[in-house]
Amino acid sequence: MKETRLGEFEEVILLLVGILEEDAYAFKISDEFEAQTGRSVSIGAVHSTLNRLSEKGFLNSEMGASSPERGGRRKRIYTITALGHRVLTEAKDFRVSLWNQFPGLANG
Amino acid sequence: MVKKNNTPPKLAERLLLWFLKEQLAEEVLGDLNEKFYSEAANGSLRRAKLNYWHQVIHYLRPFAIKSISSKTQNIMLIHHLKIGFRSIRSSKSYSIINISGLALGLASFLFIMLWVNDELQMDNFHSKSQQLYNVYQTIEEQSGNLNGSPNTPLSNAGALLLDSAESEIPEVKMVNHYATGYELPWGFPKTFRRGEKLFKLSGSRASPNFFEMFDYPIIAGSKQAAIKDISRIAISRKMALMFFDSPEEAIGKTLNYENNLDFQVQAVFEDVPQNSSLEFDYVINIENQILRKVEWASHKIITTYLLEEGANPDEVSQKLSAYLSHRVDENAGNKVSVGLQPFKDQYLVSGFDNGKPANGKMAYVKLFIGVAIFILIVACINFMNLSTARSVKKGKEVAVRKVVGSSKSLLVQQFLSEFLLMTLMAFALAVLIVFSLLPAFNQFTGKQIELPLTELWFWASLLVLAFMTSFAAGAYPSFFLSALVPARILKGTVRFSNRSRLFQKGLVVFQFCLSIMLLISTVVFTWQTNYIRNSNLGYDKENLIYVRIEGNLNPKYDLLRKRLNSMPGIALVDRSSEAPHAMNFETADPINWEGKQEGQVVSFKPVSVGFDFTKIMDLQVVEGRAFDRNIASDSNAFMINEIALREMGIKDPIGKWISAWEKKGHIVGVLKDFHTHSFKQKIKPLVVDVKEDLYFGEVIVRTEPGKTKEALASMEQVLEEINPDYPFSYKFLDAEYMKLYKSEETVSNLCNLFAGLAIIISCLGLLGLSMFSAQQRTKEMGIRKVLGADAGHILSKFSVQFLVLVAIAFLITVPLAWLLMNDWLQGFAYRIDLSWWIFALVGLIILGITLLTVSFQSFKLARINPARTLRSE
Repeated sequence: MKETRLGEFEEVILLLVGILEEDAYAFKISDEFEAQTGRSVSIGAVHSTLNRLSEKGFLNSEMGASSPERGGRRKRIYTITALGHRVLTEAKDFRVSLWNQFPGLANG
Repeated sequence: MVKKNNTPPKLAERLLLWFLKEQLAEEVLGDLNEKFYSEAANGSLRRAKLNYWHQVIHYLRPFAIKSISSKTQNIMLIHHLKIGFRSIRSSKSYSIINISGLALGLASFLFIMLWVNDELQMDNFHSKSQQLYNVYQTIEEQSGNLNGSPNTPLSNAGALLLDSAESEIPEVKMVNHYATGYELPWGFPKTFRRGEKLFKLSGSRASPNFFEMFDYPIIAGSKQAAIKDISRIAISRKMALMFFDSPEEAIGKTLNYENNLDFQVQAVFEDVPQNSSLEFDYVINIENQILRKVEWASHKIITTYLLEEGANPDEVSQKLSAYLSHRVDENAGNKVSVGLQPFKDQYLVSGFDNGKPANGKMAYVKLFIGVAIFILIVACINFMNLSTARSVKKGKEVAVRKVVGSSKSLLVQQFLSEFLLMTLMAFALAVLIVFSLLPAFNQFTGKQIELPLTELWFWASLLVLAFMTSFAAGAYPSFFLSALVPARILKGTVRFSNRSRLFQKGLVVFQFCLSIMLLISTVVFTWQTNYIRNSNLGYDKENLIYVRIEGNLNPKYDLLRKRLNSMPGIALVDRSSEAPHAMNFETADPINWEGKQEGQVVSFKPVSVGFDFTKIMDLQVVEGRAFDRNIASDSNAFMINEIALREMGIKDPIGKWISAWEKKGHIVGVLKDFHTHSFKQKIKPLVVDVKEDLYFGEVIVRTEPGKTKEALASMEQVLEEINPDYPFSYKFLDAEYMKLYKSEETVSNLCNLFAGLAIIISCLGLLGLSMFSAQQRTKEMGIRKVLGADAGHILSKFSVQFLVLVAIAFLITVPLAWLLMNDWLQGFAYRIDLSWWIFALVGLIILGITLLTVSFQSFKLARINPARTLRSE
């Protein structure tokens, strides 16, 4: 089985895929990433991560609709797999448990 | 809708498609398109395009890139390299000859290019280098001759113009003058004193903004204050450390100049780097010349302009000349115009032709670039020839490969990779050679070149060169080999077609043409340099020492002469206003003589000497007599040389009057012509007078042969006694004379070296070819032997074929070389004649070398045992 650990950037991308639902393709995701974090990222970097997440089995993808501003080309829409959901949940639980152990900010 | 030019950059798209996996193309192009249009809608189109490029480049990621070499290709490459390596190993002698020949060629190429690069870097370090221009003047003489010189015209109007250039011509941003002649760049050292410390240093005078215009970094003190007024001085780090403990400590301290003026150190600059054509240890304000009477006015001032960025120098010089012609008096005689020469060119283009900058070391730089390319071509031809020749061995391999189905392109690939492997080995060897011989090379050329091992461009250009060389050298053999027809080869041995044999021979001839050309040039060059060095100057330059007149040397000259004459080792003492080997001053104006025609202009070199000048220099008097101390009127007498006599156009000169400056007297004698400066110029008319109060120039001492040491000790003792405020410094005339030919000397040395290398490389080629030929002809020679041929017959039979090739090359080259060399020699006022025996000599050398190279193989052939070589049939 492939490695299932989730990096920080991977986690954010995975979440964005979930948020964007039908619109989850490389360009939109990178756009959303920039909007939400204020950090710039290249489409290539996002695409590369999406590709890796797919290889790990966290994402599925299929070709979607085309549009004129894409020059009539189709886009690849990503969806989170069950495994992806589970890894995300685990990651969240892990964080929450860490937050709870943090004395200064517990329950805060 | 989207307009046409609003589409994403096509080139970036093409690049993307070139490296991107095909299955990703659709979605990625779509995404990038969408990004592009959303950016273009929000902001500028330019940014969107730039961003598109940015995005494309960020797709250079492992997951997205097409695997350029598929697995089978990788295996093939390894296979090619393995086979290449094996074949290099299997025929060691060929490979060694081939690789070392190429390595030698490359090493020479690298050496020459390093030298050329170093020459071209001269004066390039100034950050404003592109905008700096030197003013030069062109004087139209009455005869119509155009005379160029780097000096700024100092006639009243000229000086006025040059000083106001900033305000008169908008393109001129900054003007700087600096003095040369008696200072920069030849540097008559001046004496500086601080307490007990006494040193001689050379420097110059310059306008206050000198350090703003040129990049000589200030390490202590301030750039603006450096030479702001006439009491200040800027000194080099070296000079600061001579007088003080540190550069910082020097600031604000005073140094005494020539036992006369005090200067306050206001700035210390970093020692002037090697690649600066201006060399100096101190700079003082140029106004000193006028206001503090530092020295009698130098007639050489150089002016440098800083032009606005993008200003056209031709336009500026036109404006300057136009302005100048407004201001100059129409009746002033010679017409003066000015032009601009890029500052960074002044080192390489130092001469003038027809009033414009031309000639100089640039010719040598071009020559050597040519030589470098020559040598590389010769080395490549070698490689090509040897590799083609070796195809005999490879023929069978090629045939078998073809029969089992190898394609032609695959074969070409295989051979090219083998050649690339060899080239890379040669390169590694060449870099090693250059690296280890660089110190020797530096000593040879008097430079401080370093290998730019840390510079990317060096390695990049090396790599490009390696690929180009391996392609140039390997292309023909590769295609030749791959084109062989297997059926024919497998039936018998490889037979070269007549065409390819001819081609091969043609290459050998061409190669030898280049080498012979180089050799002839070298011989002629060396001959000419030797001629210059050893020919009779008209005076005896041996055993002469000279000391600059300064301090008490003039006022106490009589005492000095008496004291020196009484000391051991000294034969004779006299003085002269100009160093005998470098009489630079030349003037036509204040000199008149009995019988001078109206409007007649003769440009003289005036020199003032002591009474014993003819004796001490061993000059010949052809008419009349030399100066005589015992004849009172001789202090107003003149002597001239033969050329002066001719140009003045007078007969029976003895007793005719001459006037120069405030002096009028009679001609007492005519000197036989002697060389007063470098051999590149013709001997000029000379007018000599005696001056009792000679406050500048040189004291000349002739030592007794073989007693130089005693003479120097005597001089030191006497000079310290008479001139205690100045350190004793002296020059040997013969050594100084040779310095006039330093660049010729270096070039001649380099020529010798590289011609030798070219010959060696050519011979390596010949050696390889003869080895190949010997292999091919073993059977033939075996049969000849069996039929009764003796060793001598075989020897000659075998050698003749190569001698014929070399002879053809020789015949082709000689007329060409003759024309070329003749042309080159025309540049010298005094030169050797090109005689047939120079060419005959080169022919003999080449013949000898060829025979020597080939004989090794022919002896081997002659000694073979036919029983063994014929057995296999």
